[in-house]
Amino acid sequence: MSLILDDAIDIKRIVYDEEAIAKRVKELGAQITEDFKGEELIVVGVIKGSVYFFSDLTRAIDLPIKIDMIGFGNIPDTTSKTGVVKITKDIDVDISGKHVLVVEDVIRTGLTTAYLIQNLESKQPKDITLATMLLNPDRLLMTIPVKYYGFEISDSWLLGYGLDSKEVGRNLPYIAELAKKE
Amino acid sequence: MAVITISRQNGSLGDELANYLAGKLNCEVISRSYAMEKFFGESEEVSEKLADSAKLFLTEVPGQPGVTYKDILTSRIDEIADNSDNLIVLGLGSCVMLKDREDVINVRVIASMETRKKRIARRYNVTEQEAESTVTIGDRKHKRFVSILFETDLAEAELYDLTLNTDDLSVEECAQAVLALVGRRAQRSKISDETAKDDSIDHQTATPVFKNETEAEFAKILDMYGIEWMYEPKTFPIEWDEEGNIRMAFSPDFYLPKFDLYLELTTMDQKYVTKKNKKARMVMDLYPGTNVRIVYKKDFQELVERLKSFGG
Repeated sequence: MSLILDDAIDIKRIVYDEEAIAKRVKELGAQITEDFKGEELIVVGVIKGSVYFFSDLTRAIDLPIKIDMIGFGNIPDTTSKTGVVKITKDIDVDISGKHVLVVEDVIRTGLTTAYLIQNLESKQPKDITLATMLLNPDRLLMTIPVKYYGFEISDSWLLGYGLDSKEVGRNLPYIAELAKKE
Repeated sequence: MAVITISRQNGSLGDELANYLAGKLNCEVISRSYAMEKFFGESEEVSEKLADSAKLFLTEVPGQPGVTYKDILTSRIDEIADNSDNLIVLGLGSCVMLKDREDVINVRVIASMETRKKRIARRYNVTEQEAESTVTIGDRKHKRFVSILFETDLAEAELYDLTLNTDDLSVEECAQAVLALVGRRAQRSKISDETAKDDSIDHQTATPVFKNETEAEFAKILDMYGIEWMYEPKTFPIEWDEEGNIRMAFSPDFYLPKFDLYLELTTMDQKYVTKKNKKARMVMDLYPGTNVRIVYKKDFQELVERLKSFGG
């Protein structure tokens, strides 16, 4: 097994290997290229999980796109115990009046994605669509515009290709299932 | 849509708030000068007299038996409100005039005499003593106008949904408070309108009382994400007996207006999950266009976990 994983991380099986991922990302890239031909498209990756999918997907889109990244986190707030979710790295490109494609690594409940969409909508883009490498449709709570997804997943705990276990394993080139929840 | 009436003390920044809100809501401001020009401007003599004498508003309009100038003022403003997405009415006793409209939000803008006289003195380059006199005369005039036309004291606190003191609040801060109220009111009206059209029941209360800690925790999570929510705003009857009495109903825990979505938490016993799933399906069948999702225990736990170890 790879040196990326330490002894504490027990992998059950590889769910999607490099080849399967590359093939699917190419297909998604081709589809997005077709859908946005002649349009002005800005692709926004969500830090940090989407970093590998974002970099592969944007290179599979054969259009003069603009790219940017967005990050958010839980910021302590003086008025509440739990803090508030805030944008920690905002986008720099102007998205007003343009098509925006938000790229996520995985969408489960969709709550964090809903937060991002709300935030980006305030910048008045023409529209926002979503691309995610992994989607769990059974768990999706929010009504969010997921148009492109790599693979459907169930409730298993996954690692690699951007997904982490306590910040480790993001740089695995494949997506693996953890033996147990870390 | 909302009709915002703004009653203000002289020098309290009420006019500035009205104009700022008009820009934000892209709507018109009906002020005293607007009314004089658009409603009574055909005769310069009449509009000048009306501007000077509140009592004249109670007299009949020549050639229109039984119709007073006050009637014209009221009906014209009502008519404009009916035909506008949003409208701001500044002064004119509008908080009393339009009090029977469901879409009205009455705002009062005040500030201490100290603040107001300083503002007026600075703005018109007069002494503070002169400014105080101007402010007092202006306030008295407003009070008299409303008292004569509507037999109401405009200083009565109960007239207003929101009172803003601009001693320490900026125009922008005041506008944010008003706009938040406008947005919330619109959501409440939407729910009420929907319940008037189908069998569902308006269940909105003044204060959300959570049934358990999980609901309170979930509300906190939504707050953290800045996602607006309403607690159990609607009850959906889903089964009736032969006489039409409601036998079974479902009140989803949360409604997220932005996503037009109802959420029901099931963090309890598994046996309730099946029951709730069935109820959610029945609601979606009986009330087309209604979205209900069940939040399972694992979803909830994952959200809590994710917030603990937030990584992006």
